[in-house]
Amino acid sequence: MPRAGGFSIRRSAAVAERVLVQIRRDRRTLGMLFAMPAVIMLIFGFALGGQVSNVPILVDNQDAGYLANLGVTGTPVYAGSHILASLQTDSAVSVRAGSFESGKQGVDSGAYFAAVLIPSNFSKVAFMQTQGRNVSASIQLYIDGTKPSIVATVLGAIQNAVQNSSRVKGFNLVQQYAYGGKFSGLDVSLPSVIAFVLTFLVLLISLLTVSRETTSGTLPRLYTTPLTAVERLVGYTLSLLVVSIMMVVVVLVVGIGLFGAVVRGDPLLLFGAALLYALSQVLLAVFLSNFARNEFQAVQLAPLIALPSMALSGMLVPIFSLPGWIQPISKVIPMYYANQLFEGIMLKGYGAGTVAFDFLVVVAIAVLFLLLAMTTVKDRMDA
Amino acid sequence: MIECANLVKEFKEGRIRAVDGLTLSIKKGEIYALIGANGSGKTTTVNMMTGALAPTSGRISVLGVEMPEGKNLVSGRIGVAPQEYSLYSDLTLEQNAGFFAKLYGMDFKRFRARFEELNGILRLEGREHSLVSNLSGGMKRRASIECALLHEPEVVFFDEATVGIDPVLRAFLWDYFRSLRSNGLTILLTSHVMDEASKADRIGLVRAGKLVDQGEPETLMARHGVNSIEEVFLKLSGKEIADA
Repeated sequence: MPRAGGFSIRRSAAVAERVLVQIRRDRRTLGMLFAMPAVIMLIFGFALGGQVSNVPILVDNQDAGYLANLGVTGTPVYAGSHILASLQTDSAVSVRAGSFESGKQGVDSGAYFAAVLIPSNFSKVAFMQTQGRNVSASIQLYIDGTKPSIVATVLGAIQNAVQNSSRVKGFNLVQQYAYGGKFSGLDVSLPSVIAFVLTFLVLLISLLTVSRETTSGTLPRLYTTPLTAVERLVGYTLSLLVVSIMMVVVVLVVGIGLFGAVVRGDPLLLFGAALLYALSQVLLAVFLSNFARNEFQAVQLAPLIALPSMALSGMLVPIFSLPGWIQPISKVIPMYYANQLFEGIMLKGYGAGTVAFDFLVVVAIAVLFLLLAMTTVKDRMDA
Repeated sequence: MIECANLVKEFKEGRIRAVDGLTLSIKKGEIYALIGANGSGKTTTVNMMTGALAPTSGRISVLGVEMPEGKNLVSGRIGVAPQEYSLYSDLTLEQNAGFFAKLYGMDFKRFRARFEELNGILRLEGREHSLVSNLSGGMKRRASIECALLHEPEVVFFDEATVGIDPVLRAFLWDYFRSLRSNGLTILLTSHVMDEASKADRIGLVRAGKLVDQGEPETLMARHGVNSIEEVFLKLSGKEIADA
């Protein structure tokens, strides 16, 4: 018999056995223990497995070609067409043809990532270069600088295309960045970091707060009072909205104040968007807590939602680089719209009119979660 | 005031029958004690009467309103002190009472007056600002009773309300319950302490979800030829065991 004061592995084993029996008895937790790592690994595997591809760009090939006079028969040079053909076979980019101006507008509205202009004298200048003349062929590029990994992919694709066109020995890429310039890695990360922090923390705090009513044993008593189930939900939501306002303020103050995050748009619009998104997460938590029997079950739901959101919302990998069958899933993830909103307002300087669609989608998501919460809330112990 | 007819409550798809055909009637201004061993179905019965649970079959009416359908009509006229304290342990006594007062639509002035009155009666003076987690078991029980009585209900349900309260205060509480009754309040209480139930106007003895006998304490003792309610209960239990 081990002494009471000494270390007993049997007593430790008794604690371990008891904890495992408790976990085994809680079927939802047991299911989550297997389902959560599997689901998260699968999602991250699919999301991160590929490389940046299918970046939408527009190419305006105005190159008129050049008929070089080399002896008896001239050799026509169509360098621009070679470059265009090469880009069209490159899976890194998805090329549409059109005018450079419409391409620039497309970049500003988010339809394209870059617009490329191959000027009319491109082949001529390229040929003159091969003859040792001191000229340099130029390609104009208007590009969205909010995603450095995609900028690198597009630049690499153009570089490859030009190199594949053996007629061109060197070229000058005239780059112009949309939304007022190039951004640092921190600048471009912060909008999605803010979205992630709000997704994870607002969900976690809200789930814990609401499920505490269940575990504290006060809920059955509330069922006997005039408080209706909907009044209770609204009460939870209002209190968590206050908590969310504080969290949004902290996140924005640290992001902007400490890290100097770029906010090209209206800071008040950013605050409103952040608060609206936080409210949608509060309502999601209020809905989900209708199904959690204890705080342990509730707590597990936060990473189960936040981590796949991180992988599929465009935070880690651009949506158009995800496998085709995953892309529609991204569009139903609330954090995707939060990323769009925060990135649009902070980096691209979008105003209320431009972000109205994403704003309305988040409103619709919030209303959907509210309706789901109202239709699943219990007003009796056995409801 | 409270009517139950053939009340049945089953759990786990009928594998557990917590209440099994219970029929009883409680009059206005009566103290009715539902007594029985742990697990006999007392709390389940109270939960159905207060609208927190729906019966599997049978019917209940409280203050003339069918439950749980009419819960919203009567919930403001009933008070409940559950078996578990059901208070917010990280709030003070005053914050807990204030919260319930607001749920029952009491204005601040009326709440303050009632809160101070009940603090005096239930010997909770000086603990208004104590966190409930720092109160003793007996104080938590009294705080729970206070929250049930704040809004001056017409019917109160005390589920094992006097458990954990010392004998002196318990005797005092019974005097208080009787004074409330004389003002027209109807009280249904549950207890597994038999001698305590003898202070009620009428007693219902519950066993395995069934009402095995009921009546005034003296009548019950006389009917079974014994001198205490505990003996009545033991006699009925023994009879049931012998019958089984």
